[in-house]
Amino acid sequence: VRLRLLLAMLCLSACGTALAEPYLAVQQGLKCMACHVNPTGGGMRNTFGQIWGQTAMPEKRIDTGDPWTGEINRFLAIGGNLRASGSYTDTPNQPSITAFDVDKASVFIDVRAIPDRLSLYIDQRVAPGGSINSEAYARLWLAGQRYYVKAGQFFLPFGIRLQDDTAFTRQVTGINFATPDRGVEIGYESPLWTAQLAISNGTAGGPATPDGKQYSLRVERVTPRWRAGASFNFNDSSEGTDAGGVTLGKRQMQGVFAGLRTGPIAWLAEADYIIDDTLVPNRDQIVGLVEANWRIRQGQNLKITAEYFDPDTDVSNDYRDRFSLVWEYTPIQFAQLRVGVRNYDGIPQNDTQNQRLVFMQVNGYF
Amino acid sequence: MRIRFLSMLSLAGVALASCGGSGEGLDENGRPLTDEPTPLVPELQSIQDNVFTPICTGCHAGSSAPLGFRLDAGSSFSMLVNTASVEVPSLKRVLPGNPDQSYLIQKLEGHAAVGAQMPLGQPPLPQATINVIRQWITDGAQQSVTALQSGAALQLHATTPLDGEMLQRPPREILIQASGELDVTSLNAASLSLKRSGGDGTFGDGNEVAVDRVSISVHSFQPTVIALSQPREKWVPDTYQLVLAGNSSPAVLGRNGMPIDGAALGMSGSDFTLQFTVEATQ
Repeated sequence: VRLRLLLAMLCLSACGTALAEPYLAVQQGLKCMACHVNPTGGGMRNTFGQIWGQTAMPEKRIDTGDPWTGEINRFLAIGGNLRASGSYTDTPNQPSITAFDVDKASVFIDVRAIPDRLSLYIDQRVAPGGSINSEAYARLWLAGQRYYVKAGQFFLPFGIRLQDDTAFTRQVTGINFATPDRGVEIGYESPLWTAQLAISNGTAGGPATPDGKQYSLRVERVTPRWRAGASFNFNDSSEGTDAGGVTLGKRQMQGVFAGLRTGPIAWLAEADYIIDDTLVPNRDQIVGLVEANWRIRQGQNLKITAEYFDPDTDVSNDYRDRFSLVWEYTPIQFAQLRVGVRNYDGIPQNDTQNQRLVFMQVNGYF
Repeated sequence: MRIRFLSMLSLAGVALASCGGSGEGLDENGRPLTDEPTPLVPELQSIQDNVFTPICTGCHAGSSAPLGFRLDAGSSFSMLVNTASVEVPSLKRVLPGNPDQSYLIQKLEGHAAVGAQMPLGQPPLPQATINVIRQWITDGAQQSVTALQSGAALQLHATTPLDGEMLQRPPREILIQASGELDVTSLNAASLSLKRSGGDGTFGDGNEVAVDRVSISVHSFQPTVIALSQPREKWVPDTYQLVLAGNSSPAVLGRNGMPIDGAALGMSGSDFTLQFTVEATQ
């Protein structure tokens, strides 16, 4: 009965078209935790997210009877993602490269020791290469799911958690799906607000250092039509510890981000300012992103992204940008095809900053 | 629909119309030109300036470096040369003379047994660039001459673990790099000691426990990089102190016969001390 109720709700609200990404939350006017087990988004989908992904995302749903929810029983749920791609990279003055890759295969396990209260969550990357843990934490909900405490290894809260780890906002900030950290996160959830404060080692999963920690704060107001928020991150864990005897400092990042729905277009924007004293000489950096996601029709999304990166505000003529055009097609549940082109544009004397990438990616999710 | 299409089109237009920096007055890494540009040649300093620093240290630097693997200028040599990979411990990150058996090359070329091709999330390095790194390895993976200190007392630094570091598991090895070439015959049980605090985290109160049978290997002679290790089961949770003598006899000597400047005082004759804590052995 509960599943049918969920299906009925989804039939009324469905309008998304592609794989789990922040723009879907903007399109739907929902918070990340509406579809994901993780309150900050990404990784395993919850029952609502699973059914939404099977009914509202694909162009056509192949009837399998009861939908897959990932729930083995009320105490255990599983899920997974697989991304494989073929790409063509054209670099000025270099031979072009054509390659097929398994970008990432992950399995998710959520052990609900006390359902809706205490969970043990594992996100394990199993390919390519060997098995590497991405997230492993215990999460305790408090006060009627108004607060939670998360402890273990997890992705840090900062800005918009884009699926694309190669985006400047993900690469330059260093907070992405390749850099979980170990620590404690406290979260607050209300109908219009979501906030997280994390204190972690600041070592991207490596051993702790004696000198400092990383502090991440993210606050966002979420309405059905728009959302806006701010992020702050401070990491002094590497201060004074350079092996070469060079005095290193702290790294501080601050940024703002927003989302807006205008009809079938979901807009995302983020701008971050990074003060990096861990580099010698130290640098102030700026990254920015504007992305439009146009739901052409059910099962199809056209994504246009413009990005900006100034690697050193004290240096002129060194900025880079990146432009992406990606068509996302979800013909049936659990499967999505992404075809796109990314154009990198940097200083002319650096070939790798002026590449063009054409890619086709297959995403499987369950 | 037309307005929506136009708004999408305008975003695409803005993106297409924009372009990267002109690069005027910059080198190929986007840094201001100073003296002569440094072309990529098979020398560590050149590879550091052209590849490791501008590309790799975006992630592999500081204490947040993935797997603790740092490629900043002060760490790259000892982290690479004759140092076992974390992902595939049977392979050295750089095995001098053998690029095919060097894990660094396998990661850059994308055929490593574990993990993704580097640089992560970026286009692969041009094969021409990788070939220069290959050549450096083929040539013996030497430290750049300009980075070597000569004529003065040698200074030491710990690449891993860092001084004061709190380790959640025993170190695979303790890596110490000298600023030049040490007289490795001066490295012995009398000039080098590793002890633990006896559980109280302090030294000098008489309850320290000497750590015996520590294996010492020389990863590189010029500059000298030494690695100390012991079987994992020998480690116990405690605070450890490694001392290489500089102000007592017998001292650790440079090839010039001068005792080390372990405390970086600018003069010969001071001990090098590294302290770290192993919090857990599992």
